Amino acid sequence: MIDRVFTAYLAELLKALRWKFTYLGPLLIIAMVGLAPLLYPVAGEGQNPFIFVGVATSTALNLLGLFILISYCAGLVSSEISSGTIRLILTRPLFRHEFVLAKLLAGATYAFTLSAAAAITSWTVALVFGNISGVEYGGEVVHTSGSMVRVYALGFLIALAPQFAFVAYAVMVSTYVRNTGAAVITAIGTWIVVDAVKYPLGIAKYLFGSYVDTPWEVFRSQAEGLTVAWISEKTYWCLGTSAVAAAVFGAVALIGLRRRNFNG
Amino acid sequence: MPVCLQTENLMKRYGSVTAVSGLSLTVNEGEVFGLLGPNGAGKSTTLYMLCGLVTPSSGSVTLFGRDLHDNFLSVISRFGILTERPAFYNHLSIRRNMQILAMLGQKDVNIDRALDRVGLLNVSQRRVGALSHGMRQRLGLAQALLSEPELVILDEPTAGLDPESTQEILQLLRFLADEAKVTVIFSSHQLQEVEYLCDRVGVINQGKLVACEEIENLLSYDPAQVDVLVDSLEAAGKRLSEQAWVKSVETKKGRLRVHLNGGTVHQLTAFLVSSGFKVAGVMPRQRTLQEYFLKVLSR
Repeated sequence: MIDRVFTAYLAELLKALRWKFTYLGPLLIIAMVGLAPLLYPVAGEGQNPFIFVGVATSTALNLLGLFILISYCAGLVSSEISSGTIRLILTRPLFRHEFVLAKLLAGATYAFTLSAAAAITSWTVALVFGNISGVEYGGEVVHTSGSMVRVYALGFLIALAPQFAFVAYAVMVSTYVRNTGAAVITAIGTWIVVDAVKYPLGIAKYLFGSYVDTPWEVFRSQAEGLTVAWISEKTYWCLGTSAVAAAVFGAVALIGLRRRNFNG
Repeated sequence: MPVCLQTENLMKRYGSVTAVSGLSLTVNEGEVFGLLGPNGAGKSTTLYMLCGLVTPSSGSVTLFGRDLHDNFLSVISRFGILTERPAFYNHLSIRRNMQILAMLGQKDVNIDRALDRVGLLNVSQRRVGALSHGMRQRLGLAQALLSEPELVILDEPTAGLDPESTQEILQLLRFLADEAKVTVIFSSHQLQEVEYLCDRVGVINQGKLVACEEIENLLSYDPAQVDVLVDSLEAAGKRLSEQAWVKSVETKKGRLRVHLNGGTVHQLTAFLVSSGFKVAGVMPRQRTLQEYFLKVLSR
């Protein structure tokens, strides 16, 4: 099974690499982070490049990045259904659940690519326009650049968890909504509605979407000279809710495709 | 002859609508089997149930002696499918599309050979989105033949093709059946194609298999109807209509169609010759698939 999923995943990459929209997302992220110094200084009074890195990465990924990610992943299956290419794929020696798993992997790769684009750009900007030797507080170096990089790397990895949950969510919508545009609108619209009502309903704590910024909080705090624990209760909630959501959405996506008929 | 495909009581329901009902069918290895039926009869649904794209509500599909549902991977790798209006990744080239499908096929395949068979080898770098309908249809056939299948299932393989392309495709399919011993199951509205290609036909109407016959039996000669080419149509027709063993005579496209009433072809020929007419040809009329099709549907 693993080799078939991997092959299907490679096929997904082949398709994606030749598709212009694939490059649009990372380019927008690079542009947003690259232009951020115009609005948010990299260096200056009370400012250091690490703060810029933390703010630029998290803002780019949590605002623009999520929209791009959901839009991309909501089209992964629906585009195959609406164009009819799914019939081409499902008549190969590949189970439907393996096809969905390959799509989830492709979406996860895209999430990683967006994050990497934000990370590389923000660190490049920080290197070019600022001094990243360490975080000083009262004239003393409280966090070395090495420790800042480690905290950033940890934040980067943890931030992938809610993003993967968003991938599973969008792929799930994609298996149920036949039209790509409708799938994108449904996925983004539902997310916005849930995000708006989660606090009034008191369910915010249980939703993975509430924790998209959590992984970056530690880095930003350390960038301001504070010392905080690497892993907090919120981090566990972030990982836990994301894992549960990804599993549930993934399973619902599998069920959705399994029951579907493709006769026209 | 070993059985390639067998369905038993295959049924597909969409809510309250029954698309296919109690379909039991057997196709032998190396056979070319045509599935006929009016629009909405259930042909495509049947074909898609045979390849797992549509899940039957009940019944079973056995291919190469194995249940399709229980042995999906091993069975599906042995056949190729051309769906109606085949779709491809339009932003990719013909070759890239084939490479992706070859990867998923998990088999060593010869892409060039498959493309060459359908005449697309020289344009393999062309983007699929820029292809004509006919070329897409050819590409559809190429992908169906990619894994050198033992069985090909084709839904309207010549739909929208010009006569020349149609002939080429039909010849290729006939070659596959005759030389490569590939079993072919296909649906078509073109009765002439079915006549040319098929060994056996099944007629589906309102989701049910209403007839299944060897094409040879269907296209047999009718000794009671004879087409005659003769020098003087009018005079010969008049003389013939006076005979008790002739039921009726009509003039059609430069020849006489004689409906015999107990008479024989030999008797007819001898009569015309002895009456001094110059007979250029006497041919019992061959039954057509269209007649059979319409007769079956009117039952």
